[in-house]
Amino acid sequence: MKISIQHLTKIFPSRTKGGKAVHAVEDMNIEIPSGKLVGLLGPSGCGKSTTLFMLSGLESPSSGKIFFDDQDVTTLAAEKRGIGLVFQNYALYPHMTVEQNIRFPLDNMRINKEEGRARALDAARLVQIEDLMARKPSELSGGQQQRVAIARALVKMPNVLLLDEPLSNLDARLRLQTREEIKRIQRTTGITTVFVTHDQEEAMSICDTMVVMKLGIVQQIGAPQEIYDDPNNLFVANFLGTPPINIFKGKIEGGKVYIGGEAVASSSYDDREVFVGIRPEGFVYDENGAFTLNVDHIEVMGRDKSVVAVHESSTKPIVRCIIDSDVALPADATTLKFNIKPYKLYLFDAETEERLR
Amino acid sequence: MEEKKANTDPISETPPKEHNRFVRYFINLGARIKGWFVDKYTAVKDFFVELFRKRPKEEFEPEGPQLSRGERFRRGLKSQSGWLFVAPALILMAVFTFYPIIAAFIGSFQQDYIAAANQGHGSFNGWGFGNFVRVLKGDTGTGGADFVQCLVNTLVLTFVSVPLSTLLALLISVALNSIKKVQKAYQTILFLPYLTNALAMGAVFATFFKIIGTASNTETVGIVNIVLGWFGIDPIDWVGLNSPHWEIGSMRIPWAKYIVAIIYEIWSGLPFKILILFSAMQSINKQYYDAAKVDGASRWTVLWKITAPMIMPQISYLLVTGIMGGMKQYSAIVGLFGVTMGQDYDMGTMVGYLYNYIELGQTGYAFAGSLMLFVIIMIITWINNKVTKKRTTYR
Repeated sequence: MKISIQHLTKIFPSRTKGGKAVHAVEDMNIEIPSGKLVGLLGPSGCGKSTTLFMLSGLESPSSGKIFFDDQDVTTLAAEKRGIGLVFQNYALYPHMTVEQNIRFPLDNMRINKEEGRARALDAARLVQIEDLMARKPSELSGGQQQRVAIARALVKMPNVLLLDEPLSNLDARLRLQTREEIKRIQRTTGITTVFVTHDQEEAMSICDTMVVMKLGIVQQIGAPQEIYDDPNNLFVANFLGTPPINIFKGKIEGGKVYIGGEAVASSSYDDREVFVGIRPEGFVYDENGAFTLNVDHIEVMGRDKSVVAVHESSTKPIVRCIIDSDVALPADATTLKFNIKPYKLYLFDAETEERLR
Repeated sequence: MEEKKANTDPISETPPKEHNRFVRYFINLGARIKGWFVDKYTAVKDFFVELFRKRPKEEFEPEGPQLSRGERFRRGLKSQSGWLFVAPALILMAVFTFYPIIAAFIGSFQQDYIAAANQGHGSFNGWGFGNFVRVLKGDTGTGGADFVQCLVNTLVLTFVSVPLSTLLALLISVALNSIKKVQKAYQTILFLPYLTNALAMGAVFATFFKIIGTASNTETVGIVNIVLGWFGIDPIDWVGLNSPHWEIGSMRIPWAKYIVAIIYEIWSGLPFKILILFSAMQSINKQYYDAAKVDGASRWTVLWKITAPMIMPQISYLLVTGIMGGMKQYSAIVGLFGVTMGQDYDMGTMVGYLYNYIELGQTGYAFAGSLMLFVIIMIITWINNKVTKKRTTYR
């Protein structure tokens, strides 16, 4: 099912008299094609969960519209939207067994017992928990509880599956495994899925489309690689990528980009103050390179090595460059020179922090 | 090697007989009781063995020179100082709890006890179960309350009013939980009856149901009869001498009075129950309700499938304490129906029975009655625990 969000806004009134109302989501416009896995990504308080709850019908928007296919569902009650919702801490009913939990939505739909049981088992098979049907949630691990929650959301064959921070309560290893699992389940069922996360790595690894948000405003929408390679502004560039992008204070003068005193690239923009963003993998070691870094130490990772350096113009305490492991670096060098790959270098206006394109 | 052992093992050759659940339960119970006694026996034995063990002298005074007599006394006292701290409670309990229990137990087996005889020391006519027999037969020969009548009254009042009251409290709590405005004000109003004296409330309640004059010639009727009159129902003498009743054998079923008492019990039991259930509901994570909403659960389903099971510990607590309290009901009955507890004690309760016979100087019957009340409460509480335990442990 296709989802389209038009001018969606959510304003929470202030708790105290005369206080400031909170604009959780502001004028959001997204088209989500049918059968895709979409991630809402952003730091805490950026309105991504609020958006999800508005999609689910648990929160009502202050203004704007939500369409499922061509049907306006903005004012439709949650239970009539045909959505499955997985909560951050799963919200499994502690007094019911796994099977009763999964069957709960079906019982409410007055589906007969036989069919309900069969469908619950199907859903359980899909998430591989069919052996745990008789257990209570308290007897399950976090990952298993997560699967039960997904099964409960899937059992009613929803048009849209919504996941609120599905992986945040899992440990690191399980998180990796579960995110593959979510991708697999989404592929097999073909259900349009929206999930919320603050972990850019998680979003990048499984999303078809990613929506980056900040303070209720959508910053950029696109495929993960697209956004990574072509960020709209400083925030997006900074938020995506591990290790994070290096940001330098610089300026454009006479068609050249300067960091400190060195011209690192050419540019066709007018003279101005800029932020220069360089991805860690954008450095190429060259004895006669244009850009000099003071080396702090070098970390060897096997596959590649990363030069940890400092630079006076950097906005961050360290500058990190990732170099192929077969590039020979001079031992105990205190400074290294690099050339910069032009497509890994982004220029942002110093005032608006918008990308210069 | 292991296989050989298994073959020669007589136990594995004859598998244990399969008992049904009922029998298994009692076998289990027997084993547990036996285990309890064995434990206590070993503990006591060890204690005495240790006490009378011949110990070398150095164990008492492991080091240093001979202590002075005063020092030894001081140290001895210090090691036993724990008793000092529990002494006040222990003394009070001994005087007001243990002694009465033991005295009542002994007294219940003293037949034909007369308190005034033997220069105020009381006299009795041999030991035996005579008190119990007479209490159960209702053959006390004093015109006091009837034990079976009191028992039936107590059971009816308790087992009708406590579940109804709890159910009503649950519904009111749900309603209270779903309103946002003036919630605090409602909470206060609903809690007020809890702070009011039972006798005073009973008297006011009785006024609601009262009738002055006869049923055919009514001069003044209470508010309940006035309301019934609007629907064309003749005034009923709810609490007075002409109160309608059924007779089953020698027993009276004063149904009109039952209704009054049950309404009163439900009403007076509500505040505390609402307080407990409402606060329990407030602590349920809102996310369960969001999940239920997405899953399309109706309000009714949410109440019975989610809210009620989640607060089952509190509900069962209220049922258990409510039933125990109901079995000890007295003051409200006096407030409603006067010191004779209705007409010839036909609304008497178990505790009322005890007071009645203490007042009549027949303490033997009162003791016997109290012992039976104790046993009945114990059995009910035990059953209660068995039933509710299954439903309340899910964490």
